[in-house]
Amino acid sequence: MRNFEDDPTLSDLLTPDQLQRLSNGLSALCRKPVEISENRAGDAVPVEFNLETVGWLSGGASDGEREAAAELVSFLMLFVAKYRLAANIHHDTTEASYAELQRQNEALRASEAKYRELSDQLQQKVDEQVDVIRQTQQELYESARLRSVGHLAAGVAHEINNPVGFISSNLRVARDYVQNLEPLLPETLENRELLEDFQDLLSESIEGTDRIASIVADLKTFSSIDQADNALCDLNSLLRSACHLVQTEHDHRLNITENLAELPRIPGHPSRLSQTLFNLLDNAARAVGDDGRILVRTLADNTGIQVIIQDNGCGIPETVRSQVFDAFFTTRPVGSGTGLGLTVARDTVRAHGGQLTLDSQEGAGTRVVVSLPVQQGS
Amino acid sequence: MPDFSPEDNKLALKVVFYGPALSGKTTNLMQLHSLLNPERKGELMVLETRDDRTLFFDMLPIGLRSHSGLDLRLKLYTVPGQVQHDSTRKAVLSRADGVVFVADSQVAQQDNNAIAFGNLEDNLDKVGLDIDTLPMVVQFNKRDLPAVVDEAELQARWAGTPWAPLAMASALQGTGVIETFQALLDRLYTGIDAEFDLAGKHSIDRSTFIGRLSASHGVDDA
Repeated sequence: MRNFEDDPTLSDLLTPDQLQRLSNGLSALCRKPVEISENRAGDAVPVEFNLETVGWLSGGASDGEREAAAELVSFLMLFVAKYRLAANIHHDTTEASYAELQRQNEALRASEAKYRELSDQLQQKVDEQVDVIRQTQQELYESARLRSVGHLAAGVAHEINNPVGFISSNLRVARDYVQNLEPLLPETLENRELLEDFQDLLSESIEGTDRIASIVADLKTFSSIDQADNALCDLNSLLRSACHLVQTEHDHRLNITENLAELPRIPGHPSRLSQTLFNLLDNAARAVGDDGRILVRTLADNTGIQVIIQDNGCGIPETVRSQVFDAFFTTRPVGSGTGLGLTVARDTVRAHGGQLTLDSQEGAGTRVVVSLPVQQGS
Repeated sequence: MPDFSPEDNKLALKVVFYGPALSGKTTNLMQLHSLLNPERKGELMVLETRDDRTLFFDMLPIGLRSHSGLDLRLKLYTVPGQVQHDSTRKAVLSRADGVVFVADSQVAQQDNNAIAFGNLEDNLDKVGLDIDTLPMVVQFNKRDLPAVVDEAELQARWAGTPWAPLAMASALQGTGVIETFQALLDRLYTGIDAEFDLAGKHSIDRSTFIGRLSASHGVDDA
């Protein structure tokens, strides 16, 4: 591209038509026709502009005429060039300004896009936060509901505990009385059947009250009515007594293999941990039935200890697996389970800073891992 | 940058008169046009608006032809000083070989001088020139006016810069204009001679260069 300051040529300054008209005009003034061209002819004199020869003027009747005509053309050139130069620099600066504007526009556009993107991201973040708040509110509502249900249940359980206690005790005394009555009755078939039936009734009633008592105990643990003081717990011994309790519950028919490593003591609530282990073992016992096996293992490393309770029982169907930790969810017949066992177990483990994981395959068995940290977060 | 066309044996140089509005750039050029009598001098082209303010630029071509046939041209330009014509200033400044910065000596104009000097620095940078290496003369004009900054103070203020000593002028009276121009030619010659070997190839030494391009009426060529 030519710069505005480049020396113009004759054709830059005048179109052929204008040049022709200029030649005609000068020819009319002179005695003989003159011609202006970019090429030098025989008698031509230079037409100068800006110290530059832009063309040659030939013809005319004399040197004087040629000189005068060339001088006139130079004079005209000055004004033509002045306009041309002004127009060129105006064009150049307008182009430059336009390019600058375009660049600024481009930069503005880019920055606008950036801000739009930022704004979108911000909106997305706000939406996410709103979702989190909404979900937290929902959870808060759920937990408040659960807590009030728990409190109600615990209150009811507490009230039931005393009557259940004396009913259970009275029933046992009554069973003894029935045994005492047996020799006093006349030995007839009818009487014997009556007595046997009576004893069965009492035994079943005792069983019923025991079950009520255990439900009440679960409920109390669940709602933390009677929190034991924090103590250093030996998980192995808690586990052994829980195994023993479960064996008693199931008439010592269970095949439990204990594989216990040496464990550091950890701070915790012994009764609640016992309850947890008992619940897990009881679940396993119910899953395996009479001929299954339960494996109990403990492990320790420098970060924490693990209790693994594994059975080869019926497993948990996939359809209910997501619900097993829900409070009051149970697969057992009405009256035989509170639906709080795993809930209590998980909450207790969490309260001790640990976690409870559950792997199960229907028909193959279930494996529960309780991980507890050695040092609890303060 | 010098524009050398080997086929024509022509070397064209560009000098730009820069400075704040109404500091006398066009007056400098008009005085040079009337005072100078170099071997070759073209028409002074003035593109001003109705109120005598420069709209685009003014231009005065001068030149000389050496014995070796070198056609040496010097085009002297002014820029419009008004703030709004910055893109025109930039266009005129591009490819400059030397600059005369025409400052206004009046006390009240010192801020405008500083702003214009900063603008020169910026625009030189934008057109790829370096103010520290470009041949430049700083002229304080309007010495004939009453409320001007003392010359000693000005010289002291600029003493540590590459542009000391300053040139003092009163362009309207015609004093100091040619001296300013000669100082510029002197600084311009160094770089041009180094690049084109003016002294060796074209037998134009420093005093010939300055003398022949700034010859004034009534003074013989050097």
